[in-house]
Formats: sequence, structure tokens, C-alpha cells
Amino acid sequence: MTTPEPSRPASNVGDDLGLGLRLPGQGTLDERGRRRVHPVSPVVHGASSIPIGIILVIAFSTGAVSQLGAGGLLVSAGLVLLLAVVVTAWNYLVWRNTWYWFDADGDFRVDSGVITKRQRRLQLSRLQTVDVAQPLFARVFSMAELSVEVAGGNDSRAKLRYLPLDEARALRNEVLARAAGVRHDVGEAPEAPIVTVTPKDLAISLLLRSATAGLLLMTAAIVVFTVLSSGWGGLGVALITGGLPILLVITEFMKYFNFTVSESPDGLRLRFGLAKTEARTVPPGRVQAVEFVEPLLWRRQGWVRLRLNIAGVGGSDSNGNKEETVLIPVATREVADALVQRVFPGLDTSALAWQAAPDRSRRRSPIQWRRLAVAWDDSVFAARRGRITRRVAVIPHVRTQSVRVTQGPWERALDLASVHVDSTPGPVRISGFHLDAGRAREVADAQAVRARLGRAADRSIRWAAGEVAKEPSTHREPETS
Amino acid sequence: MGRSARYAGQMADRTDTAFTWTDGWTPVSPKLIAARRLALGLTYLLVVAGVVLLFVIPDVPRLVGWITLGVALVALGWLWWLIGRRVRSFGYAERDDDLLVTSGIMFRRLVIVPYGRMQLVDVKAGPIDRWLGVTTVQLHTAAATTDASIPGLEPDVAADLRDRLARRGEQRSAGL
Repeated sequence: MTTPEPSRPASNVGDDLGLGLRLPGQGTLDERGRRRVHPVSPVVHGASSIPIGIILVIAFSTGAVSQLGAGGLLVSAGLVLLLAVVVTAWNYLVWRNTWYWFDADGDFRVDSGVITKRQRRLQLSRLQTVDVAQPLFARVFSMAELSVEVAGGNDSRAKLRYLPLDEARALRNEVLARAAGVRHDVGEAPEAPIVTVTPKDLAISLLLRSATAGLLLMTAAIVVFTVLSSGWGGLGVALITGGLPILLVITEFMKYFNFTVSESPDGLRLRFGLAKTEARTVPPGRVQAVEFVEPLLWRRQGWVRLRLNIAGVGGSDSNGNKEETVLIPVATREVADALVQRVFPGLDTSALAWQAAPDRSRRRSPIQWRRLAVAWDDSVFAARRGRITRRVAVIPHVRTQSVRVTQGPWERALDLASVHVDSTPGPVRISGFHLDAGRAREVADAQAVRARLGRAADRSIRWAAGEVAKEPSTHREPETS
Repeated sequence: MGRSARYAGQMADRTDTAFTWTDGWTPVSPKLIAARRLALGLTYLLVVAGVVLLFVIPDVPRLVGWITLGVALVALGWLWWLIGRRVRSFGYAERDDDLLVTSGIMFRRLVIVPYGRMQLVDVKAGPIDRWLGVTTVQLHTAAATTDASIPGLEPDVAADLRDRLARRGEQRSAGL
């Protein structure tokens, strides 16, 4: 291994439970060269439902004890135990029936399912990302889950739960290497750390986000007001307005703890997390759009957050949760610009010539109208909005999926319209709001042309090579209508 | 480039608003009006049942029933009229490199979808639509927000459009 892992002690990785045991099934290949995930997986799965089990025992016993006395506790514990046995048996069957391997065509294959069999074939040429994550319970067993995601519809990812951490990493490297078409027996690609967010900066930045700061301020006001006017009765509201933002801050703090961006030959590698450590590799050329977010209270420090749209990631994760794909949760402007340069080489947002929304847009958006603007250069389109939290969203012309012009009744009365440049699902929306209506249409039409020219010139996407030059003029199919 | 000049020409025609149609735009079939009005009528059977119930239940004063009936009729008339306008607002244009779809009265929109970005083309028709001979063609790109659907096409027009779009999409296909 060429890469030292400073964050993890060496004793943590390595064999299984640290007992020197090689459990049956582990590492063994069947006659088709298929591999199983680690045999401790069913236990890890089971362990993650222990909290639920405890809650169930408590829930059952409060009911049962009142009716059956002390015996009720036994009955309920027995029921939960029975449930645990069933769950464990099921998990064991799931493990027995899960196989992964690389097939003869070089595709990554995962077979799974106990009752309904499922066979997935992930075409590595369409690989989007490979993540190694360590949920809390897996971490206890020094296990990790690997998810492999290819371009496609909603459910185009395969998750392997669980592999020993070093094996998960090795497999990730193998997947990345195979996708890149290089020899796959090379070790982990060396990483050069670029930037790490300190816990202090992260905590301060999260507390100063506009919504959080607003809610906390409101909470203080409510506490003062209720205590002065009606005693302690109204504090319930303060619990919600104060508790919610604090909870959000804590969740996000744990999620992005120790956020590190490193450079590796596979792309940018992001590592973060406290209870659940995640390592996400963003392959070059997969980033669809980027957004600079700058809340009001961050401006003194000159901080920004960078959010990304990555094809195949974001929108929502496997649990249906909105997933925010962040390039860095907080950074100074210079660091952020340098990072963006790696994603979109040559991008300089300060050099863009902004075309502002007309003055009459004030009557539609009295606060943010001064900030509303669009801009473009030879390679990107950008839209600016937000007065309190400033946002600048940038999309390369090549990545333009479609262009929309919309107009609500109020905009119509003012002869305004909005231009949207559509990107793949993700947190970044590129919208130039409330431009002059005629201008909006011109911008949209021109953007369609720029997107086409961008696609024609771009080599990172698979235009059939050689046809590019002649394509625009030759295809004129016979029209039937 | 010649084509850019043509786009510029189109832009010059459009003076005031963003949604003006120019040459090459196709409206959708007026049959869609009938289909949507029929669907509205079927929904209104429920409303009629509700109003009848108001008159049958003994404790409800007659006045309540009449007022409900009046409101329902006014709403029906308004929706009836609105369907006509909404359907007439749909239009599409096939340009050399992209498809344009526009619609809406209150909330207007115009979508420009490059052929090279189309991932799949859906052709669909519900039971009423099939009976009256109208079909919807929907375009999907990798963006969820694209939302380019053209309702109310004659089935053969829809099939032709789908084939043309698929062919052009293939010729100009680009990755993500």
C-alpha cells in the first residue's frame, strides 16, 4: 500500500474481527469466480436494529407489564428475541445469496435476493461514482459498505454490505481502474490532500447560515417574550424553533466532520464524517454544474459553500432522502475558486459580464432584484440570485440538457420572464429570474446554440469520432410533415 | 454560420414577448379539447351525484342545494372555456437541432430540447385519448426538470414525430 491512512490506526483494518480468524465463505470464490461479502455482514445488519429492538422491548413491556405483571416483561423479551432470531436468519439468507464478481465482459455483476432473485450488471464504462461508507454499526466491526453507481435511471447503483474496510477500498480501486481501462492490480491511487475544513470553521459556518441564524435569533426573541409576558408556558414553541436548527447543525456537523478534499488520479476524493465516514470519488468530467452559496453572515469571513450536480448522484439517495452533494461545505473564496478550477478548468466567475434583470423586476422580487442576473462566456452559462444568501450557479454549455423560459402571471404583467438551464438532478438549479421577456427568449435561444456548439467541440463525451466535423450540415432527413 | 443567422432572424421577429410563435410552429389537434372536456364531464358526474344528494337529504335546506348547483355550473363553464384556451396554447416546432414546446396561459413556458440530449421518447394515450384518437409524446433528458410533453397529437403524427425524434437523437447523441 502506497498510501498511509493517517485517520485510521493500522490495527483497525485487516483481518475480520481482529481474532486471526478466517471465517468460511470469506474470500472464497465459487466455480464461476463469484465472491461473497463478508460473513459477519448478517451480524452487522442485525446489530443496526438493536436500538429498534430496545425500543420494542420498552414498548411491549409497558403494555404487557400492566396486564400480566412481571411475567409480561419475560413475554415481551421473548417475543423480541424471537423477532431477532427471525431477522438474523433472514440476514443470513441474504448474505448466502449475495454474490459479486467481474464478468468476462469486464462488467461488475451483483446477484442478490432470497425470494426474488435479482441480477445486476453494471457497465463500468458508464461508471459515475464509487463510494466507500462506514455506517456506525459497520464501523464497530471495521466493516464498510461499497456502492457503485453508473449513469442511468433512478436505481442504477449496487451496494455491497459489508466488506472489510481494506477490501472495500481495494475493490473500489479495482472498479475505478477497470472503468478507466488501466491495469486493475495496481494499488490505491495516491492521494494528495488539497484542503481540510477544520471543525471550528465548520461549526461556526453552520451556526451562521442564514436559516439557522434566523431561527436561533427567533428562539431568543420567543424565550424573552414568553418569559416576560406569560411565564414559562410558551417555551414549547422555543423548543421547536431552537431545537430544530441545533439538531440540523449537529447532524450536518457530524456529516461533514473533518471534510478533506484530495487530488487523486481518479478524480477529486472527498472524505468526511464522524459517525459515518464517507469517501466519495468524483471522476473528472462527471460534474454537471456547480453553485457558490454565500449566506449573509459568512461574508465577513469571505466564506462560500460549493454545491455540485453530479450525474447519477444527488437528487435523492437510496433511502429517498434528498442528498446534498457538496464539493466543500465551507471555504474561503480563494480556496473555493481553486477547487472549482479543478472541476471546470478555466472558469473565472469574476470575469463574467453580468446582464442584470431590469429595474421593474423590483416589483416582482423586491429584495433580490438587484442581484438577479445571467452571464455567459465561451464555455459556461451562469445565473446569479439571492440577496441574503447569495447564489451563483454555473453550468458549462456542454452540460446543458435543455433550456426553458417560464412566465407567471405577475411576471407577465411586468413583461418579465425567467430562463432556466436544466441540469441533471441535484441541488444546483440554474435560473435567471425575471429578465425582460423578449431578452429572456433571446438568451434561451442563444443558449441552445451555444450548447450545441459546445457539444460539437467537446471531446469528453462520446460523439462518434470523425463524424463530428461533418454532422451539422449533412443530416437533413426527409421531412414527412 | 448560416444557421446562427437564421436564429438571429427569428429573434428579430419576436419583439415583445418571449412566447410568440413564428413559422414552423404546429398547434396540437383540437380533438384534445374534446378529450379533456369529456374527462372533465366524467369527473363532474361525481359533482352531480353530490348535488343530488344535497337535494335528497331531508335536513339540508333547499337553498344550500341551489347555491352548490350554481357554483358547480359556473365552475364547469369556466373549466370548459379554460380547456379550450389551454389546448390552443400548446405548440411545438422542430428546428434543425432542437425541439421547441410551448404551453400555458397563466403560467407560460417554453422548452428547448436539443435532439442530442434526448434520452427517451414516450408515446402514451389513456383510454379516453385512445377512443378519441389523441396521443401524448413526451421527451426525457437526463434532467428531471425538462418536462417537454406534447399532448393531443393524432396517433400517426405522434408515431412519425417519435421516429423522427429518435432518429435525430441518435445522430446527434451526446453523453452526459
